[in-house]
Amino acid sequence: MLLSLKEFSTEIKEGTITLWHAHENDRISEGEDLVEISADKATFDVSSPCSGKLKKIFKKEGVQIQTSDIIAEIEEDRS
Amino acid sequence: MINVIDLGLINYSKALEIQMDLLKKRIEGEISDTLLLAEHDPVVTLGRVEEEGDITDRSFFNDGNIPFISTGRGGGVTYHAPGQLIMYPIISLQETKKDVVSYINFLEKTISKGFATLGISVTGGNKKRGVWAGDKKIAFIGIAVKKWITYHGVSININNDTEAFLNMNPCGEKDISVTSAREYAGKSFDMAGAKEAFSKQFIEDFQSEYREACLEKCC
Repeated sequence: MLLSLKEFSTEIKEGTITLWHAHENDRISEGEDLVEISADKATFDVSSPCSGKLKKIFKKEGVQIQTSDIIAEIEEDRS
Repeated sequence: MINVIDLGLINYSKALEIQMDLLKKRIEGEISDTLLLAEHDPVVTLGRVEEEGDITDRSFFNDGNIPFISTGRGGGVTYHAPGQLIMYPIISLQETKKDVVSYINFLEKTISKGFATLGISVTGGNKKRGVWAGDKKIAFIGIAVKKWITYHGVSININNDTEAFLNMNPCGEKDISVTSAREYAGKSFDMAGAKEAFSKQFIEDFQSEYREACLEKCC
């Protein structure tokens, strides 16, 4: 699953990755805090939409991102 | 229903502890929406994204033994002191508008209406964030959201001195001026009355914009 900023505010156009709560290859659970983003006077934690392995982080801490940017890839658990 | 708790004059770190405890409880559904009110002892707080040089004269704060505290909120550097009203809404956006920009717009609007009840005409929701009296900033916003529960919030200059703001770029904005209700109106305001006015306005607007909208949409 590819993760972007889209689901967090329809009005946010760009933000900055301020903290990754997990590292590449970490196992993550659905609903667990995954990454903190700062934008427009707010910081907000993005929860993982699924359980699995954080396969790849495309945008590191301190990097500015646009709404449509893919920031990470999660390899979902097979049910 | 929003539960209002007035922490009175309280050290920033202690208030943050209380906030984080209530945030955890709100996430776990142990408490209902809560609005914390406070005034802080003099302190400089730094947002998550801070630019080098936004504190232009550290000696001003060092000479006054005013501490610097890094926080996890959005927004840049700001200053708190007695006479400034702090509002920390710990409320859920889960059921209605899961949108942080809408929430910030809402805060600007409700604070602007709060000032109107004090007889002060301000503007909020313009291109420049925050609330402005003329060309001077009078209220600051810096929030955080976890699991769609909000924390941190708004600082509203009522009776506080604004000299400290001359030694920083408030919110990372260069060349802006800051005022308070007292400076702007040329008279002091009763803090208890201001707390009542802003919290009442917040609750009324939140009910109308978020909860009643939910009833229409969800039921």
